[in-house]
Amino acid sequence: MSGPESSGPAIVVERMGKRFRLQRSGTRTIKSAMLDLMRNRGAGKNAFWALQDMNFVVNRGETLGIVGANGAGKSTLLSLLAGTKVPTTGSIRTTGTISSLLELGAGFHPDLTGRENVFLAGAIMGLSRRQMRERFDAIVDFAGMRDFIDQPVKHYSSGMYVRLGFSVAVEVDPDILLIDEVLAVGDENFQKKCLQKIDAFRRAGKTMLIISHDLSTIQSISDRILFLDQGRIEGIGDPREVIGRYRALARSRQTGGYEREWGTGEARIEGVTFEDESGRETDLFESGGTVRCRIRYRAERRIEEPVFGFGLSDANARLIFGSNMQIEGFRLPAIEGEGEVVLDLGGLPVAAGHYLFSFSLHSSDHRTNYHRLDHCFAITVTSDSRFEGVCRIPCAWSAPGPA
Amino acid sequence: MLGWVRDIANRRELVWILIERNLKIRYKSSFLGFFWSLLSPLFLIFIYSLFLGVLKFPIHLPTLVTGIIAWQFLAMCMGDSLYSIVGNANLVTKAAFPRMILPLSMVGANALNFLFSFVVLSVYLVFAGASFGGAGWLPLIMLTQAALCLGMAMIVGSANVFFRDTEHVMSVIMLAWFFLSPVIYEPEMIMEGFPRWVQVAFYLNPMSGILTAYRAALLTPPAVDGGLVAMSFGVAWAVFGAGLLVFRAAEPRFGDEL
Repeated sequence: MSGPESSGPAIVVERMGKRFRLQRSGTRTIKSAMLDLMRNRGAGKNAFWALQDMNFVVNRGETLGIVGANGAGKSTLLSLLAGTKVPTTGSIRTTGTISSLLELGAGFHPDLTGRENVFLAGAIMGLSRRQMRERFDAIVDFAGMRDFIDQPVKHYSSGMYVRLGFSVAVEVDPDILLIDEVLAVGDENFQKKCLQKIDAFRRAGKTMLIISHDLSTIQSISDRILFLDQGRIEGIGDPREVIGRYRALARSRQTGGYEREWGTGEARIEGVTFEDESGRETDLFESGGTVRCRIRYRAERRIEEPVFGFGLSDANARLIFGSNMQIEGFRLPAIEGEGEVVLDLGGLPVAAGHYLFSFSLHSSDHRTNYHRLDHCFAITVTSDSRFEGVCRIPCAWSAPGPA
Repeated sequence: MLGWVRDIANRRELVWILIERNLKIRYKSSFLGFFWSLLSPLFLIFIYSLFLGVLKFPIHLPTLVTGIIAWQFLAMCMGDSLYSIVGNANLVTKAAFPRMILPLSMVGANALNFLFSFVVLSVYLVFAGASFGGAGWLPLIMLTQAALCLGMAMIVGSANVFFRDTEHVMSVIMLAWFFLSPVIYEPEMIMEGFPRWVQVAFYLNPMSGILTAYRAALLTPPAVDGGLVAMSFGVAWAVFGAGLLVFRAAEPRFGDEL
């Protein structure tokens, strides 16, 4: 698969958006449609954008993993690429045949036999009967179902369903394969076969898009990761980095219970961004690496000698370390209007995991808290070294020789 | 439009497999299987011949069964059309293919079924001494009826995706349509004494022209007003055109609604 045409992109998505109409309850009837009309609720009010502002390119032969929380729009994106849904705005261009493993075996008819369903599935994917006959044995063998192939599929177990569905989808030999959360089904043995097949597809230069919640697997099999959040692309690129960001976000959502914002509001912390050694904005750090926090503030009136403080807590909001300008001996004469202060942490001596930053802005006598953001910023720390506990204390071993 | 025809022509394998599937499912786990498509018209002719003798209804048996068998083609299509999209939700949400193939293969399966019934009917009509005078018109008549069925199926099938009470509306409409069409009577039996415009209105129902044409082609009918039948055919093809337009407008949203 390395013809001259194999250099161009397999999928180009441009300014694509998908809007759904919300149905308040159950199925629409003529009555409910009329009521809607009378209440003057057009599409506008009941609509929501499942995907917005999608711009990305998938190159031929590339494996793109898609991660995101439930409801982020992952499956909607795959159905749009598969062509079963139509974008509301923008465009999707695909080159080559597409086979989708969305809901494996969902197209099977329970009353038909496995054999009949295989041919039906092949025809739906655009293969002729002759082409299917050539592939039939391979399909049945891969699924390991020779004994059951002439039984109606309603007698199949759900595992058999999925196995046959997967076999058909991969044996039709598409240029682009869309895989939605199938790595989690079937027994271990079949999963291994699936992963081997996916790997074979990769080596054959096929383009694949894979949705999975199994982050470590998807990280290892993808060339790039697309991170979707609330219908928008939150990041696309290097698997390790993007998955790290996804984990951080997922974590910060999870520890949402610890988030607290309070204060008089005379001056506010407008936002905090984190940078690594190279000055790149990120929330994924190496254990031991430096962290630069840029704290943007806004003071409604002039405040003399304000004090900025911070705290670093673990994922359960237990404080690991906290300090402020006074403690560190830095005096800020006054703030008024907008501005920025910078906090540099010389090295994060913490174990791999998720951590929460708190920031505060208060008066020098600690009587007035202008603005406090407790546990509002999540970062993720990765580490190569394994040690016990939260924090690394420099240590060295030696064995003095016998006296 | 041409692109559409080409898309479907490219996927004719799928059309055939779906037709096959529709027929297989219909006769699955029935002992006589496909023979039912021959047996049911046979029983139908037999039962009507019994009752017609008892009831003294003023219509010839060949005229009646011709009407009923032709009507059944439409009735079966209408019944199936409700589920031609909704019943294939798993295919529609899973794979991209021209959605038109769903109503098309449904009508195709029913057309095959109708052809079998028609063979049985023809054998009976030979014994009943029918003339088959206009048999050359049959392909056009059948094609027109198929176009009507497909047009209606596209409208009804799409409507049922968005409004699930289509089913109830349909059963009322089909009952009225049955009696408004000359299925168990001949137009001449009721038209006497009505002004011309009522006759014209009667033939605005495409089934009026189609049923009249079947009888004219097979039997020795009373004189047929060719103009009115042609108009009826025109309406049938207009329904087909309307069906295409409706389907084309509705099709992109099937994936969202199912």
